[in-house]
Amino acid sequence: MQPTHALRRTLLGLAAASLPLFAGTAHAVAEIGQPAPAFTAQGADGKPVSLAGFKGKTVVLEWTNHECPFVVKHYESGNIPQLQKEFTAKGAVWLQVISSAPDKQGHVDGPSALKINGFRNAAPSGIVLDPDGKIGKAYGAQTTPHLFIVDPAGQLVYKGGIDSIPSASKADIAKADNYVKLAFADLAAGRKLAHASTKPYGCSIKYAD
Amino acid sequence: MHATTRTHARPGLLPALALGIGLALSSTCAAAAGPQASTPQVRAELVASVSAVEPGEQIRLGVQQKIIPHWHTYWVNPGDSGLATTIAWTLPEGATAGDIQWPSPGRFAMGPITNYGYENEVTLLSALNIPANARPGALFPVKATVNWLVCQETCIPQQVELELSLPVVAAGSPRQPGSPLVAQAAARLPVASPWQAELTRTASGLDLGLSGAGLGALKAADVWFYPDQWGRIAHGAAQPVKIEGDRLNLSLTPGDDPLPAGQALGGVLVVSSPDSVKGYVIQAGAATAAASAGTAPAVPVDEPTLGAALLFALFGGLILNLMPCVFPVLSIKALSLLKHVHQSPARTRLQGLAYTAGVLASFLALAGVLIALKAGGSEVGWGFQFQSPVFVLGVAYLMFVVGLSLSGAFTVGASAAGLGAALADKPGYTGSFFTGVLATVVATPCTAPFMGAALGFALGQPAPVLVAVFLSLGLGLALPYLLLSFWPALQRLLPRPGPWMERLKQALAFPMYGAAVWLVWVLAQQAGPNAIAIALGGMLAIAFAAWLYETSHGTAPLARHGSRGLAAAALSLALAGGYFGVASSAADATPASTAGKAWEPYSKARFEALRADGKPVFVNFTAAWCITCLANERVALSDAAVLAAFRDAGITYLKGDWTNQDAQISAHLADFGRSGVPLYLFYPGGTQIEARVLPQLLTPATVIDALAAPAPSLALALTPAPSKLAKE
Repeated sequence: MQPTHALRRTLLGLAAASLPLFAGTAHAVAEIGQPAPAFTAQGADGKPVSLAGFKGKTVVLEWTNHECPFVVKHYESGNIPQLQKEFTAKGAVWLQVISSAPDKQGHVDGPSALKINGFRNAAPSGIVLDPDGKIGKAYGAQTTPHLFIVDPAGQLVYKGGIDSIPSASKADIAKADNYVKLAFADLAAGRKLAHASTKPYGCSIKYAD
Repeated sequence: MHATTRTHARPGLLPALALGIGLALSSTCAAAAGPQASTPQVRAELVASVSAVEPGEQIRLGVQQKIIPHWHTYWVNPGDSGLATTIAWTLPEGATAGDIQWPSPGRFAMGPITNYGYENEVTLLSALNIPANARPGALFPVKATVNWLVCQETCIPQQVELELSLPVVAAGSPRQPGSPLVAQAAARLPVASPWQAELTRTASGLDLGLSGAGLGALKAADVWFYPDQWGRIAHGAAQPVKIEGDRLNLSLTPGDDPLPAGQALGGVLVVSSPDSVKGYVIQAGAATAAASAGTAPAVPVDEPTLGAALLFALFGGLILNLMPCVFPVLSIKALSLLKHVHQSPARTRLQGLAYTAGVLASFLALAGVLIALKAGGSEVGWGFQFQSPVFVLGVAYLMFVVGLSLSGAFTVGASAAGLGAALADKPGYTGSFFTGVLATVVATPCTAPFMGAALGFALGQPAPVLVAVFLSLGLGLALPYLLLSFWPALQRLLPRPGPWMERLKQALAFPMYGAAVWLVWVLAQQAGPNAIAIALGGMLAIAFAAWLYETSHGTAPLARHGSRGLAAAALSLALAGGYFGVASSAADATPASTAGKAWEPYSKARFEALRADGKPVFVNFTAAWCITCLANERVALSDAAVLAAFRDAGITYLKGDWTNQDAQISAHLADFGRSGVPLYLFYPGGTQIEARVLPQLLTPATVIDALAAPAPSLALALTPAPSKLAKE
């Protein structure tokens, strides 16, 4: 019984993981209100990370590139680390995703990714390495940072920017509406998200050519 | 495990990290003050369209970015990533700078990410208004704090400060030319699209349809539509282009922030060829309902081509002849031909030509005024002159005077042939010319239904086209009399002269009095009840003057001069009192209460609130001086069945009164390519974006049918194009 079960799960997982491939690289594959594209990928700690494994929890996907000035803005200011701490403490899962292709800006191996997070006081639940850009393209991730939120049922409920003021200036963070905070407030209150799809801003993701 | 981590760490990582952060920090440092500043990627320079400024004028400033190869900065909509350049101005008190005028962008794709922006070189223009109190001899300092993001594969935010001081000189002083960069940049700005644009929602996305001359010559590969707002379409998605005849269709894929219901898609269509890049500003509203609903009669709501506009205008001008205020003028002019049957055909023809010249000259003058107002930035539309209460009063007086003259209350001697008052009696060419002028003046309130679209088109066009449409309209107005004067056979069709002519002339005075009554009513709407007393008092004075003048004929010279002096005084009193009285009471007029009425006054805020709630809305744009509008309101929009239909369907009926100038209404009219009233729109509510445009002549049935029409079906939009066309 047990092996059959495991086999079936593996097959399902494989099927799910291959879905984005069939979907191609078209935009808006990840649709609000639809199941978030499933993925299983290598984590920075060497262990596989699977979205399906977090069913029942709210999952934040944050595309990042430590060399991008917009990412630097939100880490040096402490904005993103603070969000990571706040929402993981409340039971959410926060995954950084790095889709920079090898030899492109922001590409790092697992150990370096962990080290960089140490430097910048980041506190995510995990880091997903996506050097071939499959996950990024399945979600239509375009910028760093670019945020996606998946609800406990596995539905995509948010995609877009970190906040409402697209700039590289730290001074703007306090003035901006933080869309991640707003999304969590709406989710906690059981409301429909007021801003479910917003404009992401930042550096383009350095996908493989 | 920890050891492994260390050995696997990339040797260059730490310096790279430090460099990355360092770059980000250093990038935001301000450059030294001066018109130029440089970063490693961009050289920026602040330039002006003039070398010195004059008080009160508007000039253009430009921020030029020279960008190193393979790097780019961004357009107002940067696309999937990136950031539009911003300019913050520090200006002397009283000066104001406008928004950035963006040259046509290009696009850059990196994998699945598409950006809109500029490479190599771009100059971003802004208008700058110099305050009128700028002191000649002083310097006018301008500072621009410019923020941009420059990217190749990596992105660097940068900021520079640019300063420029321009000498202030007295108006008219000789000046050196300004920077040629400004004119070069102006040539790269997108221009108003000469085509009619229409947006249709299809199963797979949006279909942007353009039609008009010149599209057939474009090549599909050279065309790209750039939306001016982020996410309206998927920025990098293919835009399949179909060109057939003078139609071009672009299939667009909705993006992450799709077009909300009821909004138009704005952007720039860029046509690139090896030697030029040309941008056209597109504002594509929903497809008109008439075609898809199938019930409403076809209305010329679309922007016609120039040929069609000229034809509409000619036809509209012809119809003007039948309007109650014009008809008497024309009939009497025609009758005068009978009186002068003895005159040679050549003289008759010259009469016709003089009349035509009078009409055309008047329309030319109107076109000139419109062009001047447009150049001054006013929101003007056809019938704009009737938004001035003083003008309305003037025309009311004129109608009254013409009426008095027709009634025989006074006759004008040959010496005072002014303004066509000597309609029937004066065979002179001057008389005919001014009859033409009179016909134009009295015709303007009677906007014929066919003229709306043609004039709307004309107002959005360059001056020569506007003039052509107006002249065509004038020709239409002049045509019946012109034909009559040139075609003796037609003249023979006219009844034989006799005493009945005098009777008819007197009878025709009554439409003129009627027109005067109506104009006084319009005046009351504009300037309140006091204006009625002023207008009627003025008419009394005019009647008195006319009587004095008439009775002075044949009296002793002294008495004649006395009476005529008194008449002139009474006339002056009527004109001056009318002018000052109406001008001052216009300000006091308050809008009538709308309590208990079936409609609410239109305001943009109210309209948008209703639309945001998904409520169905019927909008009626009207004006007290628009006869068609009033007729429609009486016949159709006050009809019990129509009002019941509004009530039953929960439709809010908004009435936008354009009797006086109203920028919000002008803007709404412009969205539908109109520059005048009437315009009737039905927004079915819910998620439907399309407004149904109703015909300009309404019946209760038309309105009820339009309300009840099924939602514009997608059938039309979904019909696949014949594959043979798709292949072309």
